[in-house]
Amino acid sequence: MIELHGVTKRFGARYALAGVELTVPRGEVFGLLGHNGAGKSTAIGLMLGQVWPTRGAVRVCGWDVMRHRQKALERVGAIFETPAFYDYLSGWANLEILSHYTARTSRGRIGEVLAWVGLSGREGNAVRTYSHGMRARLALAQALLPRPELLILDEPGDGLDPEGLHELRLTILRLHRELGLTLLLSSHLLNEVEQLCTRIAVLRQGRKVFEGRLAEVGAAGNLVRLRVGDFAAAVRELQASRLIAGARDGRWVSLAPGVGSEVVVRRLVELGMPVFEIARAERTLEEFYLDLMKGNAPGSSAGNDPARPA
Amino acid sequence: MFFLQLRNELWKLAGKKRTYIGFVMFLLAQNIIALVFRFTHASRPLRRMLEGNGYAAEPFVSALTIASIMLIPLAAFLLPLYVALIGGDLVAKEAEDGTLRMILARPISRWRLLLVKWLAGGLFSVALVAALGGFGLAFARLYFPWSSLFVWMPEQGIFSIFAPGAGLWHYTAAHLMLVTEAGSIMGLAFMFSCFNVKPAAATILALSLVFVSFILEHIPYFKEYQNWFFTYHLHLWQLMFASQTPWWRVGESLSLLLGFNATFLAVGATAFQVRDIKS
Repeated sequence: MIELHGVTKRFGARYALAGVELTVPRGEVFGLLGHNGAGKSTAIGLMLGQVWPTRGAVRVCGWDVMRHRQKALERVGAIFETPAFYDYLSGWANLEILSHYTARTSRGRIGEVLAWVGLSGREGNAVRTYSHGMRARLALAQALLPRPELLILDEPGDGLDPEGLHELRLTILRLHRELGLTLLLSSHLLNEVEQLCTRIAVLRQGRKVFEGRLAEVGAAGNLVRLRVGDFAAAVRELQASRLIAGARDGRWVSLAPGVGSEVVVRRLVELGMPVFEIARAERTLEEFYLDLMKGNAPGSSAGNDPARPA
Repeated sequence: MFFLQLRNELWKLAGKKRTYIGFVMFLLAQNIIALVFRFTHASRPLRRMLEGNGYAAEPFVSALTIASIMLIPLAAFLLPLYVALIGGDLVAKEAEDGTLRMILARPISRWRLLLVKWLAGGLFSVALVAALGGFGLAFARLYFPWSSLFVWMPEQGIFSIFAPGAGLWHYTAAHLMLVTEAGSIMGLAFMFSCFNVKPAAATILALSLVFVSFILEHIPYFKEYQNWFFTYHLHLWQLMFASQTPWWRVGESLSLLLGFNATFLAVGATAFQVRDIKS
C-alpha cells in the first residue's frame, strides 16, 4: 500500500530521513515509531506529497506520489496531531469544504460519516465550541469521507485524555475490522502501538532501525528466565557445558546459539538440580524500543543499511 | 468541482471576521467624510475652485462630487491595506493554522488550489471596490443632492465637469478600473503569501513595495521614469474621470498590470510548488 524506496530528505545540512526503505502491506495496522525528530512526520509528509524527497521514490496505492499525486491520494485519508479546522465554521461546513478537495460529496455521505464517528447532532455548531475529543472525531470524519483504503494517522493520540485514548484505540480497531482499512499509525505512545499494530517500523535519527511483525518484538532472542535451587551453581555447570552464553540478575540466562531450553532442563536434571521454572523471556515493546534507541541491534529482521550521509 | 472549490474558498473568506474590517472601515470613513462636508466649511475650496473658473458652484456640490472626493484617500490608503490583508492571509494563514496540511493531504494539485484561492481573492477585491463605490454614493446622497459631477485631480491634469448621467458613468468606470488596483495589490500580497512566511509578513511586504514604489514615483528625479513604477499604473482609475479618456494610456496600464499580475501569480505558484508543507 505504501512503499518508500531509498528515500532521503535533507533540510539544509540536516538529514531528516536517510535512505529509508519501508513497505506497508495492504490490510496491516502498521506502527511507525521513533522519538520526536526521528523523521516520522517527514515520512508521512512524503507519503502525502507534502514534502519533496531529496532522493528516492514514494509510492502510495501503487502510484508514484510525486508524479501522480492525485491518483495516489484518491483513496487516502489522513489525520494529524492537533487537527486544524476552520474554527469559525460549523463541523458540517468543514467536512463539506475539505471533502470537496477530493470529490463531490453528497450530504447523505457526510451524515453517514458523522453518525459513524458519533458527531450527529453537533455538526451545526462552530468547531471552536468542540472539545479536543470532538475535534479528533471530526478529523476522523474528514479522513473517512472519501471512502479511503488507507488511513494515515500522525500522532492521533496527542493531547487526548485516557478516556479519549481508549476511544481512539477502539475506533482504530473498528476501522480495521469493519471497513478493512490499511492503517499507518505514527506514534510514540508505545502502549497504543503494542495494542493496535500488527507490524512496526522504528526510525532513529532519520534511519530505519527495525521493520517487522510485532510478534517478533516479543521474542527476546535467547534470553530465558530460570528458577532453580542454586542459581549460581546452575550457571557454573551450564557454562562449563557450553549451554549458556551468560547470566544476569540471578534469574536470566542467555542460551548459547543453537541450544534449546529443553537441553538446559535435561542437563540440570542430570546434575540433580531441581528446576522450578524455565521460560523464554517476553520483551515488551517498550523494552525493545529502548534497546533500539540505545543502538542495540534487534534480534529479528534487520533494518535497512543506507549509505551514511556525508 | 472547480466552482464548488471556489465557492468553498469564498465561504471560508465570508466566515472570517477580518474579511469585514475593510467594509466596516469604509462605512465609517465615508460617513465621517460626508458629514464633514455637510456640516463644516470643507467644501469651501471646492466652491472657490469652481467659481474661479466661471462655474456656479451649487450644482456641483453634489452626491457624485462628494463620493468622488471620498474615493481619493480611500483608494490610496485604505483599499491597499485591506486587499493586502486578505491576499496575505489566503495561503500563509492556512499554513500557519495547519489547515493547509489538511487540504494537501487530499488529491488536489497545488496549482489548482492556488488558482482557486487567487480567484477568491480577486472576487473579494471586486466586492470591496463595489462596496466602496456603493457606500460612498449612498452616504453622499444622504446629505447632498443628486446633480452634476466635478472632479479635480491636479496630478493627472484632470479638471472635469459632467452632467449627472455622464458623471455616474465616469464614477462607475473609475470603480471598474479601481478593481485592477485592488486585484493587483491583492495579487502581490498573495505572491508573498505563497512563500514560507507569516501572513502579517506577506501583507507588510506587499504594502511596503506599494509604498516604496509610490514614494519613488513622486521623487522629482524619477519624474521621467514614472511609467516604470507599479503604482503609476495603479492610478489608472483616476483617468476615467478625464473629460476625454486617454484610452491609449488606459490600455498601456491595463496590459502592464496584466503582466505584473501574471508575474506575481507565476512567482507565487513556483514558490508554493517547490516548498515543503510541514507542521
